[in-house]
Amino acid sequence: MTEQTFEKRLQRLEAIVAELEGDEIELAKALALFEEGIECLRGASDELSRVEERVRTLTERIGGEFELDG
Amino acid sequence: MSRRRGAAPRTGGLELELFTSGHEPSVDGPRHLEKPAADGPRPDAATVIESMEELGDRFPGASAGSAIPVSALTATAKDVVESAFLPIWVRGEVSDFKTHRNGHWYFCLRDATAQIRCVVWSRDRRGIPAPPDDGMQIVALGQLTVYPARGEMQLMVRRMEAEGDGLWRKALDLTRARLAADGLLDDARKRPIPRHPRRIAVVTSPDGAALHDVVAVLRRRAPWVEVVVVPTAVQGDGAPEQIVAALDRVARWRDCDVVIVGRGGGAREDLWAFNDERVARAVAACPIPTISAVGHEVDITICDLVADLRAPTPSAAAEAAVQSRGEVASELRSLASRLHGAMTMQADGCRQRVRDGARDLASLTARIAERRRLRLGALAGRLQALSPLATLARGYAVARGEEGGALTSVAHFAAGERFELQLRDGIVRARVDEVVTATPASTSSEAERE
Repeated sequence: MTEQTFEKRLQRLEAIVAELEGDEIELAKALALFEEGIECLRGASDELSRVEERVRTLTERIGGEFELDG
Repeated sequence: MSRRRGAAPRTGGLELELFTSGHEPSVDGPRHLEKPAADGPRPDAATVIESMEELGDRFPGASAGSAIPVSALTATAKDVVESAFLPIWVRGEVSDFKTHRNGHWYFCLRDATAQIRCVVWSRDRRGIPAPPDDGMQIVALGQLTVYPARGEMQLMVRRMEAEGDGLWRKALDLTRARLAADGLLDDARKRPIPRHPRRIAVVTSPDGAALHDVVAVLRRRAPWVEVVVVPTAVQGDGAPEQIVAALDRVARWRDCDVVIVGRGGGAREDLWAFNDERVARAVAACPIPTISAVGHEVDITICDLVADLRAPTPSAAAEAAVQSRGEVASELRSLASRLHGAMTMQADGCRQRVRDGARDLASLTARIAERRRLRLGALAGRLQALSPLATLARGYAVARGEEGGALTSVAHFAAGERFELQLRDGIVRARVDEVVTATPASTSSEAERE
């Protein structure tokens, strides 16, 4: 998937936390990681609060292209 | 020649009549004739023979002269037998089972006193889970016929069931063994299910209970998750092919995080598509992690064995696929607090490093200053030792010119010039009366000084 998925955000967040919890790193890098972590956190929280309840159907058109019906 | 009546499970008024008045008999085709009145007058055996003799050579096979060939006899017998019997369930024990290279199955069905040859055409094997073993007690649904080339009766079997689900179990065992041989049942193959799927594909019937259950659970637990239905038949003819095709669509599409494949509960035959080897292989080949959910908790299918996760029911599959809102929220909270804690720790680390650096710098500076001070003291001591003042203290004097330079050689003096003498306790101004040069050897070093 091209969009940043919830799973990917959480994985990244976990990686960031693990890195920050590890050995000392440059302050500038630590800050950059922290900011990215906050961004992941915000994205994940947003996604969590979004309610979509979508059930769609996968159909394949002639020629092998896929599309999702509403 | 006989009139078979009541021997076969026929209910209508169909009767076989080879030689009856009003109908021209022929050996070329079946003679299914509607008898006008079921309770009409019927000739007995003696009358039939008598009439045959009377008929003489007019009918094939009625006399030595009109004898029919064997092939005509067996072909007629085939027609007679096939028309006399509807497909019928027969119970017996299997023996001499053989698979012909063209795919047909041949065996005998027997009991204590009789046996019948049986055949399953390869095209009819679909309806039978597995080939029976010799000695197996089975019931077989078949059409009784005659194999004209051998003149033997034969049962063309289309369905078969063994006692104690023997055939189903055998079919399962065979499939399972083939999949195991290919390593598809290894636990090491099983992939973890993503904990936070964004989009879940459900391969199932679009109007089945399974889809309803899955959607209901996801809506309750994780409404942000998108459900994509990949419709397929899940039972009946062609269901395995459709399930395989649906899985193939998902595999090519790939735009989802988890695949749930399954259906709600049903009779064993209804679940059978999920024991199909092709379905199992398609599940195993799916590039996206799979959860299998077929029937109820007691139903375990081959599909369950190859999927990355087996859920007892479709609802359970949905529960396993997503964490609830509360679970996810608490995970986020924990991550957030770890993130802040870790950042604080990193900042504290940096601050400590700055403090350490400042302290190191201060102590280093102090050390350097101290070293300089010591060196300066030493130099001062040496300088003191070299000071001309010490010499003056011992009673010597230094002569200086008017410009202040020290006059250390007779060459620096000229008669009449003024100069100063510095002594321990003051200065004497003087004038040169005479310059007397000493012998060169004793003054050369003095003269080079200035």
